[in-house]
Amino acid sequence: MLRELYPFVEDSFSRFPSQSNIYGLCQAGEQELLAATLKGKVVCFRYQELQQKIRPVAREVQFTYIPVDAEIVSIDAFNKSPPNRGLVVGITFIKDSGDKATPFLNIYCDYEPGSEFNLESIAQSCLNLELQFTPFQLYHTEVQCDDGGSETVFLLSGHDQRIHPLQGGQLWMSNASLHQFEEQPVERLFPELQQLPSNVLWLDMLSLAGSRRLSAFGCQNGCVGLALVNQTGPEVLQSWRVQFDSPISTVLLFPLSCQTEPHQPSGETSVEMKGYNLLVTSTIEMAVVYRDVQECGLSRSMYLSESDQWDAVLCALVIDLDFDGQKEVLLGTYGQELLCYKFHPAGSGQFQLQWRRSFKSPLLSIIYLDLTGDGLKELAVLTLKGLHILQHSLTSTADLVLERLTQRVSALTAGSELEPAKDQDTEEKDAPSKKEECAAHTPSN
Amino acid sequence: MGDWPRPPVAWIHLGLLRRCRCVARAGRVPLEALNKQSVLNELVVGDTSGKLLVYKNDDSKPWITRTCVGMLTCVAVGDVCNKGKNLVVAVGAEGWFHLFDLTAATASKADSSSQHEFLSFEDQRPFFTQHIPANTKVILISDIDGDGRCELVVGYTDRVVRAFRWEEPSDSSDLGSGQLVLLKKWLLEGQVDSLSVNPGPEGLPELMVSQPGCGYAILLCSWTQQDSSGSAEDAPATPGSEGPSRDVVLHLTTGRIHNKNVSTHLIGSISKGSKEESSTCGLFALCTLDGTLKLMDSSEQLLWSVQVDHQLFALQKLDVTGDGREEVVACAWDGQTYIIDHNRTVVRFQFDENVNAFCAGQYTCKEGKNSPCLVYVSFNNKIHIYWKVELERMESTNLLRVLEEKPEFKNQLKMLGVDAEDQAAMRALVANILYKDSQT
Repeated sequence: MLRELYPFVEDSFSRFPSQSNIYGLCQAGEQELLAATLKGKVVCFRYQELQQKIRPVAREVQFTYIPVDAEIVSIDAFNKSPPNRGLVVGITFIKDSGDKATPFLNIYCDYEPGSEFNLESIAQSCLNLELQFTPFQLYHTEVQCDDGGSETVFLLSGHDQRIHPLQGGQLWMSNASLHQFEEQPVERLFPELQQLPSNVLWLDMLSLAGSRRLSAFGCQNGCVGLALVNQTGPEVLQSWRVQFDSPISTVLLFPLSCQTEPHQPSGETSVEMKGYNLLVTSTIEMAVVYRDVQECGLSRSMYLSESDQWDAVLCALVIDLDFDGQKEVLLGTYGQELLCYKFHPAGSGQFQLQWRRSFKSPLLSIIYLDLTGDGLKELAVLTLKGLHILQHSLTSTADLVLERLTQRVSALTAGSELEPAKDQDTEEKDAPSKKEECAAHTPSN
Repeated sequence: MGDWPRPPVAWIHLGLLRRCRCVARAGRVPLEALNKQSVLNELVVGDTSGKLLVYKNDDSKPWITRTCVGMLTCVAVGDVCNKGKNLVVAVGAEGWFHLFDLTAATASKADSSSQHEFLSFEDQRPFFTQHIPANTKVILISDIDGDGRCELVVGYTDRVVRAFRWEEPSDSSDLGSGQLVLLKKWLLEGQVDSLSVNPGPEGLPELMVSQPGCGYAILLCSWTQQDSSGSAEDAPATPGSEGPSRDVVLHLTTGRIHNKNVSTHLIGSISKGSKEESSTCGLFALCTLDGTLKLMDSSEQLLWSVQVDHQLFALQKLDVTGDGREEVVACAWDGQTYIIDHNRTVVRFQFDENVNAFCAGQYTCKEGKNSPCLVYVSFNNKIHIYWKVELERMESTNLLRVLEEKPEFKNQLKMLGVDAEDQAAMRALVANILYKDSQT
């Protein structure tokens, strides 16, 4: 029964020459993925259009200045915040020359107009930083600059119980540009990340309306920290800590809206309970979702039952898989299972296991993005052996699109006649919810 | 070519297979779906120690075990006695032909489920055994002469193919009173690795055998021209009378230069799906150990040819897309498996071990119904079954292409004023429809 709910069809699998890890997959640009493998190889995965056909292509990208004996730890990429353009890729690795292992961070980007998004030329333009600590997760987030603009910075967590923000400096010199990233003092941009209790294994941030942000981190010693920060300043408005018994594998902040009373008269807006939530997965305990964290902090916890049954949870994602407007929680485990939890708002509200799917090797990382360029997103699952691309069943999704288009067209025609039809209920309900969403999200974007 | 992996969802430990030690011989461990008429198929496995094992569902223990004489080289399931009942045929290399009626066991086992599986020694034995010429290699149960009755065809390691028919006294109703009677013997130039039946240009079945170097031969059933009733009785007495060379029509396929001696497999009667087409020429596929795959029809027209760098040793057909057209499934020793449709679209799958024996077909593994399955026997005594091997389509595509094929989609776009040529707008529309509540 669980199997029938599984909405995906496996479209392709790319086997990697060596294993990857939980920091080994990132989105690069709109429709591409970068996966880093232990033995210093970076694979770019995308769908290529060739002779009217779409083919999955996984090819190795030769990033310069990664020595042959390097072992890649983490990879991350982002598009520069406007008005700047271009893709920035960061790769951390450890060069083990025998006597002493040296960690490095390489940052790649290209300022040449026309090639800012060309991976091949980006890979040739490298800034090489030697690190004084063993790197862990490489993360990026947008911060507000003093001049009112915004800028994306890298955040690198390390073995030295600290998080290192790296800000790109724009050194424009006549027509040549210098590519530069410098470590910033953490208290200047991220006061909430000072004096950490342990090594941070996973970090997540979410911008809220009113130039505030939520930031969460999970530590090796089981400590989870959460802070509400006013970005202008910046100053920490509130912060919370909670202690787990095992290392934290991921923390994930996500909004969740759900309809408390699905059949309320349309006078009141039926969409309620929109709050920010924090998902915490640890290596031996059950995954937990903390509800409404900006209001309640870490007081309202909800366990995802059975999530500890398949070894450590290594990766997590919160996405809307069934297109009902409500997000589901996906967990990938070392025990080779992909678990999907759905929120059931009835009663006290609970997350229930919707389906699970076995894989052939441990799941390390999952990303949901539109690889095929059709508006429909695919689920990329990085396992120990390679990269699986799971596509929504196209036949049933096409039917759903047609059905919703029909509704939309009929709503359009009915609306023009100023005579609301009966079957328009769903549309009416959607309309206010959409506005609310827009209001909530526009400032954060 | 898209790689396509699937997790092993059921595997069966087969301790008895450990006596399959020789690679070439182990490749002959045959697998066949037992109960073709019923909705739920079983898996029949013969091993080199003479054990016949029948598996059901995802149970890792055999449902039925039978012991045969000698090293089993071929197993087949079919209505070999023409009684409207599928029987299991197991033939050993030494020439012992065993006939089992496992449908009876099904009934008795269902009745006596409480009695701790007590089966008498009688039940465990084949109800019929006969010694036929030794050195058997492959068998086929099929109607090869177009009379609507099944014959048994046996291929031998000494390049001989013999056809048998089950004959029994007309007054007897007991199955055990009949026997196999030789119809014909053909002598071929090269080793016969597979036997198959394929509809010829006139729609009549043709018996095809593979020949080394990506070749095949059509064996003519000359008894259909002679009188068909009496000659069968005399045939065993006069084995030299068939004139073997004239009834063998050898075909060598053209194309890339092959190793003339390379082992070749063949499978015929590949379903084309649509009814009007299937009336004429049958489709068949060939594969060789040096990696050539060909799809041809019985008028010798080549539909496609694929060259791979894996050693293909098994060829099967399976409808994985559910459109009624059967795809060609070829497996290599190292586990690389190719699924190729009639338009030459390839899906690859890598089984992670070396393969001892391979089979594809409909089997009831889970969920109480048949689904397309790939069955691999590895060299560590395990049978791996990949069940529900179903693909929506063979090629990667995206949602817009699927939608564009639907006429109502174009109309709706027109009404909403979206330009169907504008990919970015279409993409935004689809994203908006599906993910309206999430940020872009």
